[in-house]
Amino acid sequence: MLSSLGNPRQAAAQILNFGLVLSTAFMMWKGLSIVTDSPSPIVVVLSGSMEPAFQRGDLLFLWNRNWLQDTDVGEVVVYNVKDKEIPIVHRVVRKFGDGPEAKLLTKGDNNGADDTDLYAKGQDYLVRKDIIGSVVGFIPFVGYVTIMLSEHPWLKTVMLGIMGLVVVLQRE
Amino acid sequence: MYSSIVRIQNTFGFFTTVAFCIAALIAASDFFSPRAPTVNSLKTTSVQVVRGRPHYYSTKKEEYAIIKFSLDADLSDLFTWNTKQVFVYVTAEWPEINGGNTTNKAVIWDSIITSPSADHLTNLGPASKKKLIKSAKGKSIDKSRGKLSIKNQRPKYQITHPTGKVASKDGVQLKLHYNVQPWVGPLTWNQDKHIGLWKALKNGVSKSFKFPAVKAKDIPRA
Repeated sequence: MLSSLGNPRQAAAQILNFGLVLSTAFMMWKGLSIVTDSPSPIVVVLSGSMEPAFQRGDLLFLWNRNWLQDTDVGEVVVYNVKDKEIPIVHRVVRKFGDGPEAKLLTKGDNNGADDTDLYAKGQDYLVRKDIIGSVVGFIPFVGYVTIMLSEHPWLKTVMLGIMGLVVVLQRE
Repeated sequence: MYSSIVRIQNTFGFFTTVAFCIAALIAASDFFSPRAPTVNSLKTTSVQVVRGRPHYYSTKKEEYAIIKFSLDADLSDLFTWNTKQVFVYVTAEWPEINGGNTTNKAVIWDSIITSPSADHLTNLGPASKKKLIKSAKGKSIDKSRGKLSIKNQRPKYQITHPTGKVASKDGVQLKLHYNVQPWVGPLTWNQDKHIGLWKALKNGVSKSFKFPAVKAKDIPRA
């Protein structure tokens, strides 16, 4: 059953294999990050403020380059507010001026009011550098597993346990 | 041991591959359904500038433009089997007179038009949701929802500028835009140019008009 543990060469190969899988995933994530110029090119929707377009758990693909045009009114952007950890996915509804200093106001489609209250104290508008990407692609529901994992931390332990068991038990 | 774990892995792997391939095909199918969105008319019916405060506690006075408009448009091509909703919005756009060619854009009105397949997700009261679902009973695609005809619509948003000044600005135009939200695949917006089978939005810009002076009400050239 646990014969692989008895064979150090095989055990080492398995650890190496596991490391390879992890580093490949990491490289793909960072590679995508470079291509899209976004620190977080794929995000999971955490709130219902853009319903019915985006539900909790939907996966969004971001693009953060302005090759063809400036970030414009109507685009759905993901932005970070100073001193707040959680990125927010909302639509740009006002834009005053052009270029990197343009003042942008956002609003969730499902919210009655715009985002002025969500911004930092004394901040009335976003600028381009607050934005970490515009939504260009959409896959429903796939990201729900990450919400499950963050809301029920014991699932993480279970998953790590299963993964470890599989790695140990797996031959070849 | 070999069999069960490896078989579960293989089954799961095959399932995800098939699911992603089907999703990719569905997303790609969008590009093969022609779009020819047309605006028959988009015009202002009354424009007003009033002074007010941004919120109840504020002492700052700002000028707000209240633009009423009429719209007649046919966006029915946008509703296909992969359409979850179409977000339609009207912006007012005006140039900054002193700032060279910088522009100001603000949404004055928007509307979420769901496909029948997404009706149950809307944020409406129970009665109006029931009515909405009933309106497309038995249909999975309802192209008639893309036919918009609204008259003398009050704006949802009263717009201002960071300086608080909008009165007497000239060269204002209303523009109709849309954003198609798919069930899976890329988000798409109205285009200025034809791309493949998708035609540019026709006639989606109003005549240019001027914001009046504060409180003076006027009827602009229709």
